[in-house]
Amino acid sequence: MDSLMGLLSGFSVALTWHNLLYCLIGVTVGQLVGVLPGIGPTTATALLIPLTYGMPPVSAIIMLSGIYYGGMYGGTITSVLINTPGEAASVITCLDGYEMAKQGRAGAALGVAAMGSFFGGIISVIGLALIGPPLADFALKFGPTEMFSLMLFGLTMVVGLMGASIVRGLVAMCIGLSLATIGMDPISGTLRFTFNQPFLINGIDLVTIAMGLFGLSEIFLGMENLAAAAKPAQITSFMPEKEEIRPTTFAVLRGTFLGFFIGLIPGTNSAIPALLSYSMEKKFSKNPEKFGHGAIEGVAGPETANNSYCGGAMIPLLTLGIPSSPTIAILLGAFIMHGLTPGPILFVQNPDFVWGVIASMVVGNGMLLFMNLPLAGWWAKIAEVPAKLLYPIVLILSIIGAYTVSNDLWDVGVMLVFGVVGYVMKKIDIPMAPIVLTYVLGAMMEKALLQSVKMNNGSLVGLVESPISLTMIVLTAIVLTGSIYAEIKNKKGAIALEND
Amino acid sequence: MKKLPLFSVLMSSLALLVAGAGQQALAQGAFPQREVTIVVPFNPGGASDMTARIIAKGMESELGKPVVVVNKAGGSGGVGMSMVARSAPDGYTVSYIPVELVMHKALKLSDLGPDSFDYIGQTTMVPAALTVPVDAPYNTVADFIKYAKANPGKVRVGNSGAGSIWHIAASALEINQKVQFNHIPFEGAAPAVTALMGKHIEAVTVNSGEVKAGVDAGKLKILAVMTPERDPAFPKVPTMIESGVKLEFVGWGGFAVAKGTPKPIMATLSAALKKAASTDDFKNFITSRGMIVKYRNPEEFKPFVDSQYVFFNDLLSKMELGK
Repeated sequence: MDSLMGLLSGFSVALTWHNLLYCLIGVTVGQLVGVLPGIGPTTATALLIPLTYGMPPVSAIIMLSGIYYGGMYGGTITSVLINTPGEAASVITCLDGYEMAKQGRAGAALGVAAMGSFFGGIISVIGLALIGPPLADFALKFGPTEMFSLMLFGLTMVVGLMGASIVRGLVAMCIGLSLATIGMDPISGTLRFTFNQPFLINGIDLVTIAMGLFGLSEIFLGMENLAAAAKPAQITSFMPEKEEIRPTTFAVLRGTFLGFFIGLIPGTNSAIPALLSYSMEKKFSKNPEKFGHGAIEGVAGPETANNSYCGGAMIPLLTLGIPSSPTIAILLGAFIMHGLTPGPILFVQNPDFVWGVIASMVVGNGMLLFMNLPLAGWWAKIAEVPAKLLYPIVLILSIIGAYTVSNDLWDVGVMLVFGVVGYVMKKIDIPMAPIVLTYVLGAMMEKALLQSVKMNNGSLVGLVESPISLTMIVLTAIVLTGSIYAEIKNKKGAIALEND
Repeated sequence: MKKLPLFSVLMSSLALLVAGAGQQALAQGAFPQREVTIVVPFNPGGASDMTARIIAKGMESELGKPVVVVNKAGGSGGVGMSMVARSAPDGYTVSYIPVELVMHKALKLSDLGPDSFDYIGQTTMVPAALTVPVDAPYNTVADFIKYAKANPGKVRVGNSGAGSIWHIAASALEINQKVQFNHIPFEGAAPAVTALMGKHIEAVTVNSGEVKAGVDAGKLKILAVMTPERDPAFPKVPTMIESGVKLEFVGWGGFAVAKGTPKPIMATLSAALKKAASTDDFKNFITSRGMIVKYRNPEEFKPFVDSQYVFFNDLLSKMELGK
């Protein structure tokens, strides 16, 4: 009950007029940088830290964390409307969000994303307030070994993203995994596939890849038949259809728990819960064939998951001072700059600060919902802009966005290359989603596995010695066996046909 | 607010263009005639970036012209530093120089070395601290070393990446005390500290600022700092030398310009840097981030960089990296 009282007293801090104002500024900036491709909440938070120097600490952190979760709302918009993810967490939303927009349902996609985000955001903040501290100690149990097994389990989900042809899906997987090996070897520091290009030493940025694969390739395809491009149907409503409400609700609930859980684990980022949620929804769906053709659960689940991730990720930060994701690491820097060391002592010494920030996240999520629901219809009108005008604008925005990734033309070039790659892949019908998922998971898995092996003096034994890891491996085996069994049973003839 | 990121991008790209092309037109008159760019070879938000931003603010009021910070991440700092090393030697493009500069050649990350730059001055020192879980069975460095000697290869020491400064810090201790650690690389210091808190590893040798939260939370304890003097943030913690280990190891940061920059320009820049490094804003920030303010003027900084180059190359050659 202590935490409930704390949360209530936090509202007395969060609801003062100047903190409300800072919260509003934060979520608005977050929303905007989320919309702009390339510039994500991480960069925005970093750039705005110096501006908070003269502010009271609680207002500063309220504003900066507003940017963080606000970005998750904004990223959706460009994914849905122009197939160009605003930031990494919304990459997967392109798949079904953009399809929905093509069907004239951009409003529904944005509406359901906003509502899911709000629900995920609020529930995870409540989780943070009520059960945060004990969960933080659980999060510490995830070392490299446990991380590897968890990612391995995540990789089984990729099967769900493969589309019609397993062979094409495997090709996509291999592309993703190969791309993940570019850069410095995580253990020995050896440079791999860098061809003396200093820009390749730290690998390729996920958002740059996604902007090319999804956004640019769509423009290239669209330009082929510019005249024939059909005007999208009139936007009707930002509510899902009646028969969609039930699956959407479940997608939101699952996304909430998944995002919150992944958020707890240090070393993850907000793209992971979104990707996993998408795969999970496809597995749970009664109509998996609808995915990739405008399935509303494919928008609702991931968009909820990346928001509830934010609340979950605040737990290790506030209770132990652990930055579990890149943006949180920058927030940690801001804490320290304002003379606050996150950790259990912070709750005792500065309860007004901690609970004020937590309460402000509830307030901020409310603001974002009210900003996004009416705006959904307004934003959706962008989908009605004629392609002749829209494509050049998107192209310019993407180029500027890619430039901001490292303030260099290099990333613009990388994006253009992946635009062409994406175009070719669409032509020969290779699915994009497995590339993105394996790219994200592959790099982390490799690092975690090598660390685990090194920690056990060159042995794999850690993977089965750790109870968490063993559980994950058993689950992986069950899912794999189950899928293979189901595949053989259901499609005895289908596989043979596909091989033709 | 909306325009801020776009605006800063445009500004910085303009600044770079101007810095590259316009030096002849503006050769006359006292330096600086226009804005000065500080290139940070890492992403925004890190300690290096923040250091450069606060220094930029301080230098701006001294120089009377805008000082713009541009992030050029990539290549473990090589992209940004190479850009400055190749820029016109007119003082308008300044680089933040991290300790990593002296390791680049040995790690085959770039061709940069101490002679690639003219130095404006050092501003900071980044202390390393040998840190273990609070319930570890050793309370002094001597006990820790004794344990490591009894269990060769069993003590897992987390660092911030293969060939990173804190990896070399652990190796320096290892070589100095003739023990054998099992080095576990992480992506930066924070994940290594997290793994230490979860007891997945036995120790870390990262910046003391990175372990402060863990120490305050009662999960970690610092056995010793590797600086020559005690760390003001942890006055009770002894130095390595006090603990009987003859070892000094610090990271550092400073500023430099392209080789061949004229003397008067150097003088103006280093005077401005000295002022900027002595402001209260800067001192407070550096201390709060677990670093130490350490100013060296150009005449002291260059020999220091040279000696560090020798020191690190010697260590790196003993470390058998990449195998």
